[in-house]
Amino acid sequence: MKKFAFVALTLVAIAAAACGGDSGDVAIVDPTPILSDSEVAQSQETQGTEESTSQATTEVETSKEIVSDAITEAPSGGVFRRVWSDPPTLDPALVTDTTSSGVVVELFSGLVALSTDLQLVPDLAESWEISPDGTVYTFTIRADATFHDGKAVTAQDFKWSIERAANPRTASPVADTYLNDLVGIDDVLEGRTTEIAGIQVIDERTLQFTIDAPKAYFLAKLTYSTAYVLDRENVEAGGSTWTDNPNGTGPFSLKEYRIGERIVLERFEGYSRGGNGVDTIVMNLAGGQQMAMYENDEIDLTGVGLFDLERVLDPNEPLNSELVVAPPNFNISYIGFNAQMAPFDDVNFRMALNHAIDKELIANEVLSQLVTPAYGILPPGFPGYNPELEGLKYDPDRALQLLQDSQYADPATRPRIVVTVPGRGGTIGLDLEVILEMWHQVLGVEVEIQQVEWATYLEDLNKQKFQAFAGLGWEADYPDPQDFLDILFHSNSSLNHGGFSNAEVDALLEEARVEPDAVKRVALYRDAERLIVGDAAWVPLWFQGERHVLIKPHVKGYRLTPMIVPKLTQVRIEK
Amino acid sequence: MWIYIVRRLLWLPILLFAVSAVTFTLGTFGPGDPVVVQLGARYDEETADRLREQLGLNRPVLVQYGDYMWGFIRGDFGESLRFRGRPVRELIAPKMWVSAQLALAALIISVGVGLPLGFFLATRQGSWIDPTAVAVALFVMSVPIMVTAPGLLWVGCLKLGWVPCSGWGGFFDTRIIVPALILGLPGIAGMTRLMRASTLDVLGQDFIRTARAKGLSEWSVSSRHVFQNAMLPIVTILAFSVAGLIGGAFIAETIIGIPGIGRFAVESIFDRDYPVIMAITLVGAGAFVLANLLADISYAFIDPRIRIT
Amino acid sequence: MATFSKTKKPKKTDDRLGSGAGASHLSRAFRRLLRKKIAIAMIVALVVVYTGGIFAEWLSPYGYTDQNYSDILEGPSVDHWAGTDRLGRDVLTRTLWGIQNTVILTMVAMLTGGVFLGITLGLVSGYLGGKVDAVIMRIGEVFASFPDILLVIILAATLRPRILDGARWLEDNTALDGLVRTGVVDYLVVSIALVAFGWVGMARLVRGQILSLRETDHVEAAKAIGASTKRILFIHLLPNSISIIVVTVTMGMGALTGTEIVLSWLGLGIQPPRPSLGTMLLGAGNIGTLRETPWQLLAPGGAAFVMVLAWNLLGDALNDVLNPRTK
Repeated sequence: MKKFAFVALTLVAIAAAACGGDSGDVAIVDPTPILSDSEVAQSQETQGTEESTSQATTEVETSKEIVSDAITEAPSGGVFRRVWSDPPTLDPALVTDTTSSGVVVELFSGLVALSTDLQLVPDLAESWEISPDGTVYTFTIRADATFHDGKAVTAQDFKWSIERAANPRTASPVADTYLNDLVGIDDVLEGRTTEIAGIQVIDERTLQFTIDAPKAYFLAKLTYSTAYVLDRENVEAGGSTWTDNPNGTGPFSLKEYRIGERIVLERFEGYSRGGNGVDTIVMNLAGGQQMAMYENDEIDLTGVGLFDLERVLDPNEPLNSELVVAPPNFNISYIGFNAQMAPFDDVNFRMALNHAIDKELIANEVLSQLVTPAYGILPPGFPGYNPELEGLKYDPDRALQLLQDSQYADPATRPRIVVTVPGRGGTIGLDLEVILEMWHQVLGVEVEIQQVEWATYLEDLNKQKFQAFAGLGWEADYPDPQDFLDILFHSNSSLNHGGFSNAEVDALLEEARVEPDAVKRVALYRDAERLIVGDAAWVPLWFQGERHVLIKPHVKGYRLTPMIVPKLTQVRIEK
Repeated sequence: MWIYIVRRLLWLPILLFAVSAVTFTLGTFGPGDPVVVQLGARYDEETADRLREQLGLNRPVLVQYGDYMWGFIRGDFGESLRFRGRPVRELIAPKMWVSAQLALAALIISVGVGLPLGFFLATRQGSWIDPTAVAVALFVMSVPIMVTAPGLLWVGCLKLGWVPCSGWGGFFDTRIIVPALILGLPGIAGMTRLMRASTLDVLGQDFIRTARAKGLSEWSVSSRHVFQNAMLPIVTILAFSVAGLIGGAFIAETIIGIPGIGRFAVESIFDRDYPVIMAITLVGAGAFVLANLLADISYAFIDPRIRIT
Repeated sequence: MATFSKTKKPKKTDDRLGSGAGASHLSRAFRRLLRKKIAIAMIVALVVVYTGGIFAEWLSPYGYTDQNYSDILEGPSVDHWAGTDRLGRDVLTRTLWGIQNTVILTMVAMLTGGVFLGITLGLVSGYLGGKVDAVIMRIGEVFASFPDILLVIILAATLRPRILDGARWLEDNTALDGLVRTGVVDYLVVSIALVAFGWVGMARLVRGQILSLRETDHVEAAKAIGASTKRILFIHLLPNSISIIVVTVTMGMGALTGTEIVLSWLGLGIQPPRPSLGTMLLGAGNIGTLRETPWQLLAPGGAAFVMVLAWNLLGDALNDVLNPRTK
């Protein structure tokens, strides 16, 4: 899932438990999406404040310079140290979260990848052809593509790896989502056969994929780790713990992994696809006080949380010179409503709750502008983002009116309202505490908060047992609006946890799946988004704001990207 | 005496059985399905069933329990659910080792300060220093760890730069200082009080008077007779001190970032990793019961006046 | 087995006189206690803190959810004696309410677990002996064998959903309303978890006392004149154990307060929006807060500190007074 995860906010609140994956990560790149049509590109330029854009641009320039240097120069050597948390898995077929993904993309690789500019670039494939009808993809694998042990990567390896990912015995929770466009995939997913009809090995270096319809986002989905290549011998010999000694194809190999202690990655000498800087990456998994560790020169990079932000932003503070401000990750946090359950089956009631929240106030005063209020679903800068979308703005009078119009105006007959949040600490997030108070003040609506641990939360979420749920965020897997709108709001999607159902939205989403014209596709998604927002399916809360990260001056070329992409190979240590 | 020891030893497996049954029942019938956790948000019924079968979670509870206990006896604690396919023993052993070293360091601080202090106070009974020192020790003990941890880190690491701010480097590494202080300082009060009481007890006894009467020097009386005899009961309290460290370890290991068992236990509980929780609880209970047993037995040896019922 | 309690075993008193002597011994001890300055100071501190907590509703200057966005992260001032937090809430108010939670929980747990269950089971076990004794002591041993924090965590994590469902059911099917919002569920969960292991130490202690007292002359005499079991237990045996019970309860309160705070720090105690000392310490327990807005850490930390310290010092003083042999 890349990513239902605790949202950055919650993490900031629970700073003691710190170090949630890439939450401290920052993007310095302004994202140029795959859908590079003029309209979309324009919409990106209009987003964000002047200040942030200019700041981001400067950073981009410097880092681009460094990167181009890196390719020509000799390796810088050295060690890059950062805090990470224990990846739930290192098996590319099983990755569902950003923490695992951040390590896996450095160890393994696939046919195509996303560059640090979020461009789709060839990785192990040197080129590919797409048939005129858009359903057959023929890839040519690089001649110098090898595993870490020096063995050449063949088309057969890819076929085996993808079929393994889809095989029910692998029990991949994500194979269905990322590989379901391949012809014949259902037969494998459901265990009727082990070979995917849509994958053909033409020769050692030529591989052919057939998909069920011309889908613009298919290549983008191949950048996800379910389509990465594995060494069959390595996997079969290693049993269930084969990932202890993975023989991958990525820029780094796994030197050491001590659960709860550290991960050490070592540069793969045979890696030939650009970028060669740092020798060793040390990821500290034991957590602690990140800020103090950074100040004491124990790590090279840390996110700046609410507690330290003010101090770091002060120009007189020495740390200020190491501060990098970068555009946000592509994610949105929200409060989900179950549209099938009272009182959220009434659109007026849902809208009333939306209009009663002053997001600007929360973002500015409480969260120190670490977030941007969200009125739509697609994050700024993401393909299809609609800067003109009005959304349901703060309007207490209208909120009260809508409440009166709803069938739940009378508190005596209104059902109990429980908002469930996942959590391990006793804090529910600052934003939610304010929102509860706003609902109480503006509407007189009383809400119970129920905090359950992650396990129960996911279970009940999937069973659609929650009336309303918060503490969730959705982060982009690949830069395509389908990744947000279709996956989260189509009435047949398994991730539509609120049971939102609107026939018109479904029709638009289905049409967009196969629409070849990029401009028209975006228009379709925008229509769908407008309907979803108008129906108050959620309370969209926040897009991540600019990220504040401290990076030691001797670290060059660390690109803070809005999505997880392979990037550590471009890091250089210059001491 | 020997009958007593044998009886206590026989009781040990029964106790562990009861503890494991309680933990297993709570784990199995508690909320939160480990399979669901593992699958994350992209859950579907079919995959879940497959996984359940693969992990043997679809069998009757009693069979699962029997299987588990049989494995446990042979040193096989099963496989972790969170870190799929990884033996629990392999996961928790290094972390227990880390926490054990930390506990030892903390104990050295508690005992190293507490024993001499308690002894000293007993010999100064009635002077102002006696109640004052006890009060100070209690004072130190009462500061919540959530305050001492960031406080010590701030002062020791950022202000003075004496120690690193995080991490773990083994017993002989400077990084052990802050967590050991955090865990060890509160224990001083208990040690001091106990040693003080124990010393007073010894001082009042006949053989000390005899020693004095024989004309031995005061120093010789103190060190050879009083101190040694007063220390004996302390041995028995050590087991309980270790148990007391567990609560602190949860917090200290989390705040400072130490790869120990406390932090790991908390994470495992929240992720519903039953095999790991079971193993930690059982090993913890086993160690605790053993320590208890040793304490009782040594107590019986040291002080034969204690009636064994 | 040797009698051994988890709290330090206070020395047995030599006072084995008749039943009336227990009370006068206690009153004499109380007079002696009053002569100790530290004890007085601690009693005053406890009264102040506990009053503040129990009457939080009337004493606190604001509501615990009152948010004031123009006063965010203000330091201590006339309006906000302990400053404000990130939502502009009054830290003093939240601390008082947090104390209330701790006070209620620890008192309930101590009274039901330590005092009621512990003493009753200890009395029964010690006096009846035989199989009853064996069963009670073995069950106690099982509970005492768990590293207690782990047991409480497991209990709290598994119990809450069940109890919550029960409370919802009650609300939906009876006239009771707002039950869940009062946080009563959290109180139940935490107190059950605390009680579950809280009784063992006390039961062992009382049992040990009874065992040594049972054979004394005046109990024999009472038996001889045909006093009932109940009468012997409550008139003859219990009063003679009072001093040990008082010391144990006092010292136990300090430990219990600490455990409650650890539990809520782990997120297993009182749930937001109700404040608790543990959650306040969780949110503020980092160097950043200590540097920039220390009042957020020091107010709840100080409250916790005063409570634990006061109980400990008081227990120490009581121990000196009630068990004169060690003095």
